[in-house]
Amino acid sequence: MPEILVRYQSEIWQSIAETFIMVGVSILAAILVGLPLGTWLYLSRKGQLLENQIVFSVLNLVVNIVRSFPFLLLVVFLIPFTRLIIGTAIGTAAATVPLSIIAIAHYARLVEQSLIDVPRGVIEAALSMGATVKDIIFKFLYVEARSGLVLGLTTSIISFISYSTIMGVVGGGGIGDFAIRYGYQQFQTELMLYMILIMLVFVQLIQFTGTTVARIIDKR
Amino acid sequence: MITLSSVHKRYGQEMAVRDVSLHIRKGEIYGIIGASGAGKSTLLRLMNLLEKPDAGSVTVDGDQLTELSNRELRKKRHRIGMIFQQFNLVANKNVFDNVLDSLKLAKRPKSSWETRVMECLRFVGLEAYRDKYPSQLSGGQKQRVAIARALASEPSVLLCDEPTSSLDPNTTAEVLRVLESVNEQLGVTVVLVTHEMDVIRQICHRVTVMADGSVHETIEREPTGVVTIDQNPSWFVEQLREEGEANA
Repeated sequence: MPEILVRYQSEIWQSIAETFIMVGVSILAAILVGLPLGTWLYLSRKGQLLENQIVFSVLNLVVNIVRSFPFLLLVVFLIPFTRLIIGTAIGTAAATVPLSIIAIAHYARLVEQSLIDVPRGVIEAALSMGATVKDIIFKFLYVEARSGLVLGLTTSIISFISYSTIMGVVGGGGIGDFAIRYGYQQFQTELMLYMILIMLVFVQLIQFTGTTVARIIDKR
Repeated sequence: MITLSSVHKRYGQEMAVRDVSLHIRKGEIYGIIGASGAGKSTLLRLMNLLEKPDAGSVTVDGDQLTELSNRELRKKRHRIGMIFQQFNLVANKNVFDNVLDSLKLAKRPKSSWETRVMECLRFVGLEAYRDKYPSQLSGGQKQRVAIARALASEPSVLLCDEPTSSLDPNTTAEVLRVLESVNEQLGVTVVLVTHEMDVIRQICHRVTVMADGSVHETIEREPTGVVTIDQNPSWFVEQLREEGEANA
């Protein structure tokens, strides 16, 4: 183990834990809110089961607005909102708020796009068998789109890791923040490189896992 | 069994089905033939309300479909099976689970699942394929799985939308044989939409020729295989007449 890693051992573990918390909460938000939102976005499209021009336009606009914000500005812009629900705008817990917002918008769009790929005929067959909208979502759409949903989540998680690196601006901590403060700003380039390496390993692992799972569950 | 009265269906400016009335008898194999764009698929999809008519009424087995609530319509659909040109199986589910979907949606008791699914697979001759996925099957086998799925909830009618149009002649014959036994052994009324003359010739008892959204005419095949025709024969009728003369 390089000496510099040993010296900063506890700070490194701390920053890894912070990254895990920030990314973990983002993943939860993506699945619990982004997945239903993306499904609704898809279902309200023209020609779909819950076609509704107004609902679609509003959801579409909201997702686009959140996604087109430069992320740093979104964090700053959301400070009053964060303060409202967390009680403070500073720290790891506060950092999860803007991360969750972007996570929801990011994954919702990818969910919508995966569902578009489900053949129209499968939905018609389900309707002809007397399926409800709920049946169609859980027994047909999610089953048929599952590898796309997994690949989309993989892409999203990797983006969340990237987004989480700038959460230092609101004291969110994390690996990226540690690399900047201890590595870059204190001229310990070696330490910075090690941190980049750690993130690279994480990203590789996540991508490998996601791709493998998506391949195994794809029977098409 | 199925009665359409003065049914109209419009897409934007275009009339897909105009003023169609017809009656399909219980236990027959009823063909609907026409060139593409003649409105025959739309007509079929009106029979389980996948398309809602703009005017007119659709009655299946005594129930006027347009009068049913959403819940009643879903229940009714368990008794109206449907198969499609592209089979429309769930690619991520194996053969068994595809057929099982139909039982789950019809809310059949769990204890009956295994027996009923296997019964249906045996009927179409695919009980050995229960664990295969659709991508591992031929087109004809996929269509037979789709037939098993449609039959699982014990429908009284089977609607077939171009069921053999993406199959080669051999597998077409195989699928038609299955449809014929669905009709003969299970007593299911079969309504079959196609643009292929041969399909009509092989299994249909009566045929409606559609052109430009309307019923051009309805033809009855006699037991000898000879076809009686009214005046104004269309292109399809001409073909049928030649066939009839050749047989006579």
